[in-house]
Amino acid sequence: MDTGVLTYKSIKIWKEQNISKYKGDLAGLNAFHDQVMKKVLEVAIVQLQKGLPPCAFSWFITGSGGRFEQGFISDQDHGMIYVEDTEECRSYFKALGEELSDGLALVGYPYCKGYIMSSNPLWCKSLESWKEQLRTWMESESWEAIRYLQIFYDARVLVGETLYINQLKNVVYKYQLEQPNLLKRFMANIMHLKNTIGPLGQILVERYGPYQGCIDLKYSAFVPYVNAIRILAIKEGIYETSTLSRISELVKKEKYTNLLRNCNDNFELLLKYRLSLFKVDDYFDTHYLKIAGLSKAEKKQIKQILKTGIRIHDEVIELIEKGC
Amino acid sequence: MDAMYLMNSLWTMVAAILVIFMIGGFILLEAGSTRMKNAGHVAGKTIFTFGLASIVFWTLSYGLIFGGNANFLVGMTDFFYSGDLAKPEEGGLATTVFFVFQLAFAAISVTIALGGFAERAKFSAYVVFTILFGILVYPVIAHWIWGGGWLAEHGKQDFAGSTVVHLTGAMAALAATILLKPRIGKFNKDGSSNNIAGHNQVYTALAVLILWVGWFGFNAGSTVSVDGAFFGFVALNTNLAAGAGAVAATLISWFVLGKPDIPTILNGALAGLVAITASCAFVDVWASVVIGFVAGILTFYGARFLEKRKIDDPIFAVSVHGIPGIWGTLSTGFFATKELASVGKPGLFYGGGFDQLGVQFMGVAVSGIYAFVVSFAILWVMKKVMGGIRVSEEEEIMGLDISEHGSYGYPEQMDKLAKEANVVASKTHVSS
Repeated sequence: MDTGVLTYKSIKIWKEQNISKYKGDLAGLNAFHDQVMKKVLEVAIVQLQKGLPPCAFSWFITGSGGRFEQGFISDQDHGMIYVEDTEECRSYFKALGEELSDGLALVGYPYCKGYIMSSNPLWCKSLESWKEQLRTWMESESWEAIRYLQIFYDARVLVGETLYINQLKNVVYKYQLEQPNLLKRFMANIMHLKNTIGPLGQILVERYGPYQGCIDLKYSAFVPYVNAIRILAIKEGIYETSTLSRISELVKKEKYTNLLRNCNDNFELLLKYRLSLFKVDDYFDTHYLKIAGLSKAEKKQIKQILKTGIRIHDEVIELIEKGC
Repeated sequence: MDAMYLMNSLWTMVAAILVIFMIGGFILLEAGSTRMKNAGHVAGKTIFTFGLASIVFWTLSYGLIFGGNANFLVGMTDFFYSGDLAKPEEGGLATTVFFVFQLAFAAISVTIALGGFAERAKFSAYVVFTILFGILVYPVIAHWIWGGGWLAEHGKQDFAGSTVVHLTGAMAALAATILLKPRIGKFNKDGSSNNIAGHNQVYTALAVLILWVGWFGFNAGSTVSVDGAFFGFVALNTNLAAGAGAVAATLISWFVLGKPDIPTILNGALAGLVAITASCAFVDVWASVVIGFVAGILTFYGARFLEKRKIDDPIFAVSVHGIPGIWGTLSTGFFATKELASVGKPGLFYGGGFDQLGVQFMGVAVSGIYAFVVSFAILWVMKKVMGGIRVSEEEEIMGLDISEHGSYGYPEQMDKLAKEANVVASKTHVSS
């Protein structure tokens, strides 16, 4: 950046100038997004004109960002945890959260349609209120609460103390140890998979529309892996958020070696395929892979990826249903 | 009076009413398979064209099909049928009843043809084509096969009209849909296609049920006789073919698409019915299951084939009535049995050799080509003379309910949508 004064606009320009460097480099791209968002927080604190934060806090991102799977464009998904449950802190972080969401939107991260943003009081709370909220969510077992819990579990800290988020995840871990039914509720929430392999072993592609003949990698390939691995991570109290690092933690446990055979390789391949679809110029991430354009070997590979995902998903369901 | 004559007349009258009720099925079928903005138009024009086709049938079609003094193409007497009864024959039926029954068939055929017009033709095109189809297309094929024409002399088997009614209608629909070109938004510039989903699958399913029931009039009624209660056998074959068609279509869509597809299931039942229409009186019960099953598979692949060829077949007129109509007609060439072949010869599987199959093939090919070519020519001339047969782009987008008739089939919903569209139009400075 050339000048000293940081503004949302200058961050936006800097982001647009540099993001294309990370074409084909998922880790680099995610690190770059982290850097951009950290700068947005700096500007937000200045813009707020309320001085420095009155207590220790941590700002986390979740969703695809939490899992280090962001493409060039992604919605914002984030929340805040602050330590002191005082009126001063509440009003400060509420205002900061709102400023932050607006700032991120200005820099080029669209608002989250599900309102998973620090500007939403549900996602901006003191540590104690967070614990309370997690317990309420876990006890209510409502469809929405279960969704929130799974989203929360993908959270990683961007700015501030890492300890808090791990403490909170530990609350979930402990709870499910005593109440195995919680995992079943998680499972129920993710049972539906888009059919990708037909009964005759063929790849099922989109029938109509601009993506005719394509498969939607995000929903048909990623979802079974990400969801199944997350459930196991919750069950085993693994706090890592990227699917690959969760897998490498899980395979250390002997009971999962068979279940997770070929999992890592196939998921890495999947990431590679998805990366090949990223186009910076379009300024629009596509997750659709045209099947007709692939070679025979590539088609076989895609089938292998899809089948492994489905197998792991199904076996995890079975495992959870059996009550482990 | 002869009891048989009265019973035959009564049974055929009931059958005629069942067939006429199929018009209701077609209203629901077309309305359900298309969008809300055209629903009122679909319903209204179908009633209108049935009315118009009835008048045309009375003035000309009936005489052209069944009249005496016939040339190669058509008969030349009995126009403006007066309602006179022919002298009652033993085993016959009242001419008036026969007239109404035949009128219903002609009306079904033109209704199928007009399915190819769906969602984009001018109302005036419906008017003109209904008249010309009733004079130049349907009577010729019906005369050839049912009116004692040359195909009848060859022993062409088409018990209730797989060729005469369904294929003829479908070929006209194909000509229309090709000349009208696809609906706006059906195909993309890059060659991919979009699914323009019908607005009500429940309508479509009820339509299939109404048609299925009506088909007992169509097929079993085509006995035009209660003799030996043979109509029961025909009804049995009809029902099994419809069932097999639905099952086959369900399975094939499940296998290929990964999910049992509702429109395909519905089309499968209809395809089974269309196919068994020619053969219902000539084949064994087991064969009707096979015929229906094959039809269910054919309609699925037929629809996909047309879509690949960039032919927009909005209500599946071609893939349901055309392709299964051809298959049904050919099927008697394989499956007609010695005992049941009251017309023509037994099929290939019953020791008849290739004779009957050859006749069936010739009949279906000549009839199909005639129907397509003449319909295409009529529509082509109409296009020139009438300044186009398709509504303007703006009218197509606003929907035929409002553009052609001035009121909506679903006024509450459509008024709201139209207001929103007007806001957009005013913002983009497009006059509306």
